[in-house]
Amino acid sequence: MTMPPEDDDDLLAAEYVLGLLESDAWRAADQRAATDGRFAARVRDWEARLEPLNDEFAELPAPDLLPQIESRLFPAPAPRRRRGWRWLGAGSLVGALALGLVVLSPVLRAPPAPVLTAELVAEDRALVLAASFDGTSLNLRADGPEAGAGQDYELWVIGADGVPSSLGLLRDGALTREAALQAGQVLAVSLEPAGGSTTGLPTGPVLATAELRAG
Amino acid sequence: MTDDISGLLKRLAVQDRAALGLLYSSAAPKLMGLLTRMLGDRAEAEDALQEVMIRLWQRAATYDPQKGSGMGWICAIARNHALDRLRARPAARGHRVVSGGEGDMDVLDLVADPAMGVEDQTMLRARMQAVVACFEELPADRARAVRGAYLMGLSYHDLAAQFDVPLNTMRTWLRRSLISLRECLDR
Repeated sequence: MTMPPEDDDDLLAAEYVLGLLESDAWRAADQRAATDGRFAARVRDWEARLEPLNDEFAELPAPDLLPQIESRLFPAPAPRRRRGWRWLGAGSLVGALALGLVVLSPVLRAPPAPVLTAELVAEDRALVLAASFDGTSLNLRADGPEAGAGQDYELWVIGADGVPSSLGLLRDGALTREAALQAGQVLAVSLEPAGGSTTGLPTGPVLATAELRAG
Repeated sequence: MTDDISGLLKRLAVQDRAALGLLYSSAAPKLMGLLTRMLGDRAEAEDALQEVMIRLWQRAATYDPQKGSGMGWICAIARNHALDRLRARPAARGHRVVSGGEGDMDVLDLVADPAMGVEDQTMLRARMQAVVACFEELPADRARAVRGAYLMGLSYHDLAAQFDVPLNTMRTWLRRSLISLRECLDR
């Protein structure tokens, strides 16, 4: 059966929505739905066409999982731990200074590190952030709407332990700061109340994530 | 299309934590049914339900009521997550088979969603009738295969094994069926 490529794309969207594709093909389509606006629109159309079939899913009693869900979404800030952090903060500052002396001197002589980049694309490409890191300074440009009244976009880097730490707020669609980042680390942008998260972790929806890569 | 769920999603989008509990109360039974049917395992479905609720919180700001009902959006995210899990399973777990509903499409007799306004119920009923009619235009085994994919996340491989036809035959059957369905549903 031969079909015009447009139609092929539309059928691919249907196969993806239905789940007919095997793992690799499904994952490739999943990635495309997250980054290709036109394909995402086709996916939405098929989801809408087939939506009435959802009525065939019978309801089942669900256990109360809300406490687990809430504790994952909103980790309680523990005051004691915070005090610990302050100590840790002072200690690590000294450590960082010492480390800086050791690390910086070879860096000054070493050839420039390769530029790392990441493109963070929110669903439907409504917001696209281009990040680049030249070895000392991180630059971020946003293409998309402002965060809205009473809200800010906050940028995070996710450590090897999976814990995000804030890199600051995007203001006027841009963010520039000194940072120590490595290839393979993941950047994430979340929507936070104005002024940013007060818990030290993202509290709002994470709009996009992307890995820093050389290039 | 608006329903109570879409109102709750709007509140989630502005970080209203109370709305998360309300959403859980109204949507968890449906999501539990969907995830259990697709994953075929209750414990995994409970695990998946937590993940889906977290995704709903994180993505609520991207929900656009102009483009569909809140319940439809939630089910699409839950199905996507279930497929993600199914496609990550090692192939050694074997083929799954279409179970239940021998092609009879009695969706109209199911209880309507209480979270939905009267107007939207009427609208969804009309759309359901359209889907039923369009499925009836397909050869019965193909309609069953499409429903098996949607409701249980069966892949081309699973379906080819079950209907005992070569993979390419199944692919051709279903692609033709999808073209007819699209044509019928967009009419």
